[in-house]
Amino acid sequence: MTDLFFYLFATLTLGCAFGVVFSKNPVNAAMFLIMTFLGMASLFVLLEAYFLAVIQILVYAGAVVVLFLFIIMLLDVKEENKHRVKPLTWVASLIGFALLILGVVAITSSDNIKATSESLPEAAGASLKNFGYELFTTYQLPMQVTGFLLLIAMIGVIVLSKKVKTDS
Amino acid sequence: MPTDTLNSLGEIAATNTWGAIYPEMILGCLALFLLVLEVVLPKFAHGAIPRIAILGQILLLGYIVVFDPSGCCNGVAFGGMIELSGTGQALRIFFLLASIFVSYLAMVSFENKTLARVEYFAITLVVTGALSLMAMANHFVMLFVALETATVGFYVLVSYFRQNVLSLEAGLKYLIMGALSSAILLFGIVLLYGAASNPALAGSSEDAMNFQNLRAFLEANPTDSLAIIGMLLVISGVAFKIGAFPFQIWIPDVYQGAPVSTTAFLAVSSKAAGFAVLLTLVKTFAPLSSVLVPVLTGIAALTILFGNFAALTQRNLKRLIGLSGVSHAGFLLIGVIAAQAVPQATNWVLFYLFAYLLGSMAVFAVFAHLPKVWDSDLELDDLGDMAKRNGFLGIALAIGIGSLAGIPPLAGFIGKFLIFVAAFKAELYVLLGVGIVGVVISIYYYFGVIKAAFFEVWRFTDEDEEAEAAPALPGATLTGLGKLTIVVAIAGSVVLGFFQGPLGSWLSGQ
Repeated sequence: MTDLFFYLFATLTLGCAFGVVFSKNPVNAAMFLIMTFLGMASLFVLLEAYFLAVIQILVYAGAVVVLFLFIIMLLDVKEENKHRVKPLTWVASLIGFALLILGVVAITSSDNIKATSESLPEAAGASLKNFGYELFTTYQLPMQVTGFLLLIAMIGVIVLSKKVKTDS
Repeated sequence: MPTDTLNSLGEIAATNTWGAIYPEMILGCLALFLLVLEVVLPKFAHGAIPRIAILGQILLLGYIVVFDPSGCCNGVAFGGMIELSGTGQALRIFFLLASIFVSYLAMVSFENKTLARVEYFAITLVVTGALSLMAMANHFVMLFVALETATVGFYVLVSYFRQNVLSLEAGLKYLIMGALSSAILLFGIVLLYGAASNPALAGSSEDAMNFQNLRAFLEANPTDSLAIIGMLLVISGVAFKIGAFPFQIWIPDVYQGAPVSTTAFLAVSSKAAGFAVLLTLVKTFAPLSSVLVPVLTGIAALTILFGNFAALTQRNLKRLIGLSGVSHAGFLLIGVIAAQAVPQATNWVLFYLFAYLLGSMAVFAVFAHLPKVWDSDLELDDLGDMAKRNGFLGIALAIGIGSLAGIPPLAGFIGKFLIFVAAFKAELYVLLGVGIVGVVISIYYYFGVIKAAFFEVWRFTDEDEEAEAAPALPGATLTGLGKLTIVVAIAGSVVLGFFQGPLGSWLSGQ
């Protein structure tokens, strides 16, 4: 049963990801992106990482893609015309694809993947309570630093986009 | 939640010794204080804020050097997030010193420009704190968060001259390249975490992102292909930060377009933080050294050759210094590889970094004082007759460039010499040969800069045009503070060249 759901949601995720790349209308691409995120969230649910699944939907499908849509509408992006792909791009993307396949084969054939265990440890982010405890004890310092990260990101956006008064 | 879990979490929380990272906390608080000052102070007093930033950093640096030169406590803290060590303390002082120079350069190059000023200094302070935490990181979560904080800060600092198209272009390129390198680094971390937390394998750990646990796992499984791929991806991510060979493509454009203070910050602090991380990671990945050492050796050799050959044809000053920085990264990589066999090579890498800091800062300070609206347009010809027009800047440039090139009485020579001694002791003869070839090539373009500054440029023009082409260098804007800063940088280069005693013994005493 779980296998069936896995294949269903994996197909949904991959199919919509292709939709993001191939759709000409940017709004359609953003909508496909939402579906991709929903598919990934379902995969997280199958892995019993419920908190991650909820965050995936709230943050990515909710906030980030809405921001994308805002930007698409503000910039008034037109449907993209079909542009010719250079031969070099084809060669580069084929090499990239071959490397990707090689990586997947190498990883799946490694002993590490084959040596599975029956008693898998519970993920730290699996339960919200556990996550909170970890965040405020073990990961206290990185969390505080993240606060500064967000602060300077905000300041940076203001500095780079605000109009400077030409007073001097 | 069972009580024993709570108790163990309480024990972890007890290792959160905030006092051990007081310099980073003070830097963060100073940054917030600057932002508050901008709101509180009246507009005419805003000019004082950069001075307050520099003064605060000098006071902090003075306190650390005088009262706490070797760090309060060694060992892991914050539940294994960071590891406090002598190397960490040395790098902390390094970042603080670099940040003072960067703030000063920003103050100089922001004059006569309509820009938001205060934010630059606040972001510089936060980035410095983050770099210092990055150098101490002992856990991939801490490493990544500190790295991202620094990188996000750099995105802003690189594109700070937003009226200048080149600066914006540099910012965009750095954003894309930085995001790509972060993605590669993260993918590597995930693979390592996945490999090392598989409970079916020996030496696995629940907290596999901790470097000690990861090392224990790698010792138990030195041929795990998943871990090897992860390690290579992590090393690639770090190689982006230090600008090592296959990942150096962003360097010339970003270095050219960024404001000169940001270029100095990137060239010195960001690179040093990358090397601090690399030194830690090489220790962590020591069980995989049969793969790691050949990879790093290849990267080091190609980095030295690429940096030097690419710099030969450059006319733009900042591109030239940026590409010469690539070859410096190669020399430092030799030191990192040698440090596996020769333990004291770690200190020699630190010495090289200090010499590179002083030399680079002298050169960048001269660039900041050259009369161009945008420092991204500085060409070799702009140095024409500089020694005659402003002797002080000419001498500063000569000493800075000489130190970077490794001319004997200066600090840069001792740095390169120590790296070569380390390579010789570690029997890295191929790298030693490549390094010496690199030094010989580098002499050509370094002396090109000195030639442009000291020997008269041939111009077939009449006198009126010449007067227009070569305006007098503004000796007036070179304030007492500016002279003092440059004197500190060049005096450091000269003194460390003759007399390595205090820094050397302090570094090795760590």
